[in-house]
Amino acid sequence: MAFLLRRLAFYLAAFLAAATINFFLPRLMPGDPIEIMFASAGSELSLENLNALKLTFGFIDAPLHEQYFSYLKSVFTGDLGRSIKYFPLPVTDLLGRALIWTLGLVGIATLISFTLGTFLGVMAAWRRGTLFDSVASLLAIFSSSVPAVVVSLIVLFVFGYTLRWFPNGYAADPMLDPAFSWTYISSVIYHGALPMLTLVTVLTGGFAVTMRNNMINLLGEDYIVMGRAKGLSDSNVMLWYAARNALLPTVSSLAIAIGTILSGSLIIEVVFNYPGLGNTLYQAILARDYPVIQGQLLIMTGAMLVSNFVVDLSYVLLDPRLKKA
Amino acid sequence: MTLLRQLLHNKKAVIGLTILVLIVLIAIFAPLLTEYSPVRRVGRPHQPPSWEHWLGTTRLGHDVFSRLVHGARVSLAVGIGAGLLITVIGTVLGIIAGYKGGVIDEVINFFTNMVLVIPNLPLLLVLAAFIGQASPLVIAVILGFTSWAWGVRVTRSETLSIRQRDYVKSAEMLGEPSWRIMTSEIFPNLISIVGINFIGSIIFAVIAEATLEFLGLGDPNTVSWGIMLYNAQNASALSVGAWWDLLSPCLALALLGLGLALVNFAIDEIANPRLRTGGMLARWVGLVSAGEGKL
Repeated sequence: MAFLLRRLAFYLAAFLAAATINFFLPRLMPGDPIEIMFASAGSELSLENLNALKLTFGFIDAPLHEQYFSYLKSVFTGDLGRSIKYFPLPVTDLLGRALIWTLGLVGIATLISFTLGTFLGVMAAWRRGTLFDSVASLLAIFSSSVPAVVVSLIVLFVFGYTLRWFPNGYAADPMLDPAFSWTYISSVIYHGALPMLTLVTVLTGGFAVTMRNNMINLLGEDYIVMGRAKGLSDSNVMLWYAARNALLPTVSSLAIAIGTILSGSLIIEVVFNYPGLGNTLYQAILARDYPVIQGQLLIMTGAMLVSNFVVDLSYVLLDPRLKKA
Repeated sequence: MTLLRQLLHNKKAVIGLTILVLIVLIAIFAPLLTEYSPVRRVGRPHQPPSWEHWLGTTRLGHDVFSRLVHGARVSLAVGIGAGLLITVIGTVLGIIAGYKGGVIDEVINFFTNMVLVIPNLPLLLVLAAFIGQASPLVIAVILGFTSWAWGVRVTRSETLSIRQRDYVKSAEMLGEPSWRIMTSEIFPNLISIVGINFIGSIIFAVIAEATLEFLGLGDPNTVSWGIMLYNAQNASALSVGAWWDLLSPCLALALLGLGLALVNFAIDEIANPRLRTGGMLARWVGLVSAGEGKL
């Protein structure tokens, strides 16, 4: 319990840090930040709206520390300001809508690639030195070193444009209304196939390499020899003696990888014109819609912290030592 | 030098180094490899690959091959520059935190963990967006100052175990100053970790630069692989069938990433022989399994 509370306090501090960066960045710009931000967005706002925007950024007639607290107050009450491009749509609404697609994509892809990568890593470590190991390791190196933007462009070129097997954009057929029906769901799956394939390709290698290395380092341990000496079957020793213990550091590397996964998904969504956070963000970057760009940092940090906390929780379940501490 | 000799005995390293040397040579001799300027209009828009234009032309009539070989310079410079910055910050902070311990360690460790949980790309996007059109130099600097955390974590944990060794203890007994212990007792034993960190950081920086530029946060007048991707994407190269425009920088980036990753894995295998695959290991495993059950 104390462990989890300490982690929670740390996450709060980290979120505060991200919010602080957001608060100071516009103030470090030369000149009047609000004017620059809105001039470069190329939009014309009435004085009234401009004042409303200033308020959400904490630009009030008060000393700096009061501005800071006013900004923090609006952030912690879930007010991330309003989009400039789609004024007066609140940033939380704009990003919240997109977040669902990203979370679906990232969640499923992580699950698939973590399972697949871990399995490949276990097999490669267990049969290290064999042809299977060499091929799997080479594929893993390839998958973990090629940029997501490159993989997604190549996948789009091959399956989207050349073979025309899958659509080149959108999360579902734009003619369909969202509904809980097989036509709609199958359309979502059909449209999500390429982004999913790309994300799984990009992620699996990293998990496989981590798992292989962790597992190989464990194979010399006495309890593995003990397991064999007891006459347990090969697969029994592999899964319950070696893989189970190698999984622990792999799970903690998953916590760090979540940032990479989210970033990968951002790029992939842009390439496949998938209506998730990444694409919304891309439109915001093109329009220099600063409140949205800043809002995504907080939302992504939030997502990262929540998933780290989930990993912490699973750590408590996987590692009995932590329960006592 | 032993590291270099060991690298040359490792198949992965040889392939990786060959790719890297090739790209570095192309970058150095870029102006000699092509008669076309990378920024001038030298042909009709979107010409497919031909004898005149090996990799075709862009929508603006630029020669793709010329842009590719000149772009290698920027990608390599940003990668190596940012990689160096990331590695120096990570190594220095990691050794100090691991060796000094106490409050210094706690402060460094706290900030490291904090940077690790703030997602990197979203942060870079915010920074780059406020900077406006970021030049490659600016991108390298912000990459350097936001991405050192992983290096600190790895270096610190390795330093923690090294500081317990006898030779560090005896240097302490002899009254060596702590900076000397850190630089000449601990650092030389971290070389493989530092190498892996350096190459890993180059991979990261090359990818991050290309990504930021692809997303439109770079300076569109730069000749770099990321800007090539950005221009090709803006010209809807794929939907008008000009695949050469988009796939050339794609394959170049993939090749650079692969070359660096192969070298990195090779260093990892040399530092930790248990990780090796193929060759000697296969023969050894074969002998062992042939002997199994015969005892």
